[in-house]
Amino acid sequence: MATTVAPAPTRAPRQRPPGSRLKLRNTFIGWTFILPNFIGFAVLTLVPVLILFYLAFTSWNVFGAAEWVGLENFQDLITDRTFHTALRNTGYYALMHIPLTLAVSLGLALLLNTKLRGVAFFRTVAFFPYITSIVAIAVVWNMLFSPETGPVNQFLMALGIDNPPGWTTSTTWAMPAVALVSTWRDMGYYMLLFLAGLQAIPGELYEAARVDGANKIQRFWNVTVPSLRPTTFFVTVMLTIASFKIFDLILVMTDGGPGTATLVLSQYIYRKGFEEQQFGYASAVAIVLFVICITVTVFQFLINKRRDR
Amino acid sequence: MATLTLDRPQAATPRPERDARRRRSVLGTIVLYVVLIAAAAVIMLPFFWMVTSSLKTNNQVFTVPIQWFPDPVVWSNYVDIWAKSDMSTWLRNTLILSVTVTFLQVFTGSFAAYGFSKMRFPGRDVLFLAYIGTIAVPWQAYMIPQFILMSRFGLSNTLWAIIALQAFGAFGVFLMKQYYDSIPEELSEAARIDGLSEYSIWRRIVLPLSGPAVATLTLLTFVNTWNDYLGPLIYLRDRDLWTIQIGLKTFVSQYNAEYALIMTGSVLSVLPIAIIFMLGQRYFVQGIATAGLKG
Amino acid sequence: MKRTIMMSAAAVAAATLVLAGCSSGTDNDSGGGGEVTGEVTITLAGWSLTTTPEFQVLADAFHEENPNITVEVLEYDATEYDTQMIADLAAGTAPDMYVLKNLKNFVTYQDGGQLLDVSSVAAELGDDVNGVDAYTVDDVTYAIPYRQDAWYLYYNQDLFDAAGVAQPDGSWTWDDYATAAEALTAGLSAAGSDAKGTYQHGWQSVVQGFANAQADGADLLSGDWEYLMPYYERAVALQDAGAQVDFGTLTTNSLTYQSQFGTQQAAMMPMGSWYVATLLAQQASGEADAFNWAFAPAPQLDDSTTGEPVTFADPTGIGINPAVSDEVAAASMEFLTFVGSEAAASALAEIGITPAITNDAVTETFFGIEGIPTDELSQFTFSTHDVRPENPVDLNTVALQNILGDAHTAIMSGSVSPADGIAEAMDRAASEIG
Repeated sequence: MATTVAPAPTRAPRQRPPGSRLKLRNTFIGWTFILPNFIGFAVLTLVPVLILFYLAFTSWNVFGAAEWVGLENFQDLITDRTFHTALRNTGYYALMHIPLTLAVSLGLALLLNTKLRGVAFFRTVAFFPYITSIVAIAVVWNMLFSPETGPVNQFLMALGIDNPPGWTTSTTWAMPAVALVSTWRDMGYYMLLFLAGLQAIPGELYEAARVDGANKIQRFWNVTVPSLRPTTFFVTVMLTIASFKIFDLILVMTDGGPGTATLVLSQYIYRKGFEEQQFGYASAVAIVLFVICITVTVFQFLINKRRDR
Repeated sequence: MATLTLDRPQAATPRPERDARRRRSVLGTIVLYVVLIAAAAVIMLPFFWMVTSSLKTNNQVFTVPIQWFPDPVVWSNYVDIWAKSDMSTWLRNTLILSVTVTFLQVFTGSFAAYGFSKMRFPGRDVLFLAYIGTIAVPWQAYMIPQFILMSRFGLSNTLWAIIALQAFGAFGVFLMKQYYDSIPEELSEAARIDGLSEYSIWRRIVLPLSGPAVATLTLLTFVNTWNDYLGPLIYLRDRDLWTIQIGLKTFVSQYNAEYALIMTGSVLSVLPIAIIFMLGQRYFVQGIATAGLKG
Repeated sequence: MKRTIMMSAAAVAAATLVLAGCSSGTDNDSGGGGEVTGEVTITLAGWSLTTTPEFQVLADAFHEENPNITVEVLEYDATEYDTQMIADLAAGTAPDMYVLKNLKNFVTYQDGGQLLDVSSVAAELGDDVNGVDAYTVDDVTYAIPYRQDAWYLYYNQDLFDAAGVAQPDGSWTWDDYATAAEALTAGLSAAGSDAKGTYQHGWQSVVQGFANAQADGADLLSGDWEYLMPYYERAVALQDAGAQVDFGTLTTNSLTYQSQFGTQQAAMMPMGSWYVATLLAQQASGEADAFNWAFAPAPQLDDSTTGEPVTFADPTGIGINPAVSDEVAAASMEFLTFVGSEAAASALAEIGITPAITNDAVTETFFGIEGIPTDELSQFTFSTHDVRPENPVDLNTVALQNILGDAHTAIMSGSVSPADGIAEAMDRAASEIG
């Protein structure tokens, strides 16, 4: 993480003499902005997270003292086949879910960022899956995907597909089915974030591009895409992390099954921690998940920075 | 992009071309509406099932094949639920929590975001990474240390626990920071030259410009607090502290076969959010209204 | 960078502080040295209080006998009970006594030093209390059972008559059960009904619980699970023959066992004894159809055990939080003594709970409930059985049950054959548990 430590003073406020007093003053003002949030954040989130990092090197079982075991938990992970399955499944899910959701939510945002009549209604509709109770979501989608009686397969059979997939009851199709439902559920959420980003683009930019003779597609690539970059970065990071952390939807839809076909890392952490009381080991899994997320994020951060220049 | 067809003719466009475009545009709009309405129907299907299930008797909820329309329609679930549960207490608690958390998150989040976006000082990026880093840690992995910590502060089994838990998250800071990043630096530069302090710039220039972002953060924080289940579950034990989500879940385990009633509760819990969303989303038309641009 | 180091140092310090605090609760093992002098109120954790009256029944019945001790029942979540209890115990905010909701997690609390030694209470209990052994580790008892469920075979007498199939007579083996299920399906179909012969719910217990209790040399902890084979082959065959709703339909349509049996979708159903009270209540409220039903012993591996049928289910017991004061510990011990008594058993039997004691007096109380089937076979089923705990008390039990749970969904969904599924589970057990 050392690479990101150095602040970039290149775009410091112009027309002011650079000096240590100013730097000090800026630091002070900067901290006053951050502090109200940071105090709560540090005490209630950061400290427990740092404790978690400590616990990953112990054999803590929730009751009693945490005994230091060094790297033992991580060594065990190397040979833990169920962990490997969970890791693979999580990656598979993320690979399907991230691009799909990104495309669908951006498409929706562009489509619904217009003066279309009834746009308020359609935006609300798109957001509905996110606020519908997760129990209802699991029940309805499972029913739609039911291999014998579900509408999805009856439709496929009507189209002439003789052996439609078993969806959530099939080891091959369970994960794609979950990824699909998950996209359906999240699209309104990320659409909203994209909408906010689209609103931030100054209209003058489009006017200028129009004057220069740019057509719709050119305006999209030369105005919308670059101006939307901070939002896209935010959405990509949040979506990536959320995808790697997927938990509740899997729990209610398949509970990791059939077999271990949809077992994901978060669920494995829960199993190891709360069911088997190996909190030290569960913490180690959490750290692996953390390292994956943060690596991807730093990578996205660097790409974003380079494009910024 | 389907939006291409939505381009309204400009006043300066010559007449013949304008007519052709209008015909194309009307046709395109009709196609667009058909597609949108069809998509909306599919998207709303689970919600539709939720509503119809709430109007069924319990044993009609799960059937093979699925029964889409209730017969007979049982309205009594919507009366019974108030008598059988503490629905009003749950709604009140959830509302208190959602409003407080949302206010704190939006206020402290957008304030801190200014520090991260518009100020430059050593250590800023590390601190920001620490924020993002905590998002990357699954909550169920550190919730026990956090619970022990909160209990030490005497916060467990009070509404304060949930407020403390949700209000200072990294999400709001991150979202607002990214939005501020897209506000041109020239605006605050000009204000600095005019002699405005950083606090005034935040309050008078940056915050008023970030309506859509504040609206987004408000909506999402509100919804997330409203729908949070695991947090209240771990921290709130007393019945009169329960939120709508724990209330409903307890309902599931108490009346384990009363799915119709559970769905009634779910519908009731979604409605306030849907209304708030409907009202809140109008903040997303500002930019278009002033700039008159599409897509 | 410096700040990061400082923060991690602070975190380690905080961690030590937090975690050191947790272990303090285990130090003051009072062993019940105190005495109850004045008025005492002790707390007990329960769940879903409005629909699970058993905790309040015990508390009230006890208070009547011991007016100076009041038991206050605290409500926990039914499904996340253990998560909440673990958090509370770790933070030192747990109640004085708590119910061990399932035996699977008992070892967590016992091994973690979160249960007071109640051997002195256990020593005074009568011999007919079932399930005490399950809570005894190295000759020390950590909890007193108040209820001991058992799995039965429920059957719908009207549907049996409609299909023209002979009702269970108490001598059934699993093969008899399978034959009957297919005959029932055919008979019902001929009579114009689309009800199935039987309904086996989606839980792993329905197949594995019986196998673990009945099969020769069955030992869940051994990781050698070949003995599950015939049980799975039978379950899959029943499903393939259409004598039972298939697993895919069952899970994707979220079928509930209450409505499957209660609305006569199936003529038989293996299920735990808790369903007696549920079915009675649902028939009274009109949620379940009105039909004649009864329960028989669970089918056996072979007819050698029909005299005392072998079945399974975990006991439910109450233990004491070791962090309590001596006086509260003494009051709690008195409560536990009551919990294991015949008076408590009768009070529970009155509300349809199967108590840990099922002697003649308790059986009579139980069958006095309105609407309950009173035929001889049902009475025999209730009072006579050899019930084995579903979960052996061991630190590896939960991990092994999780592996078996995965195997269950893989096999029942038809993703793998029983042989492959069990082989895969055994491989995993060997690699993970060693």
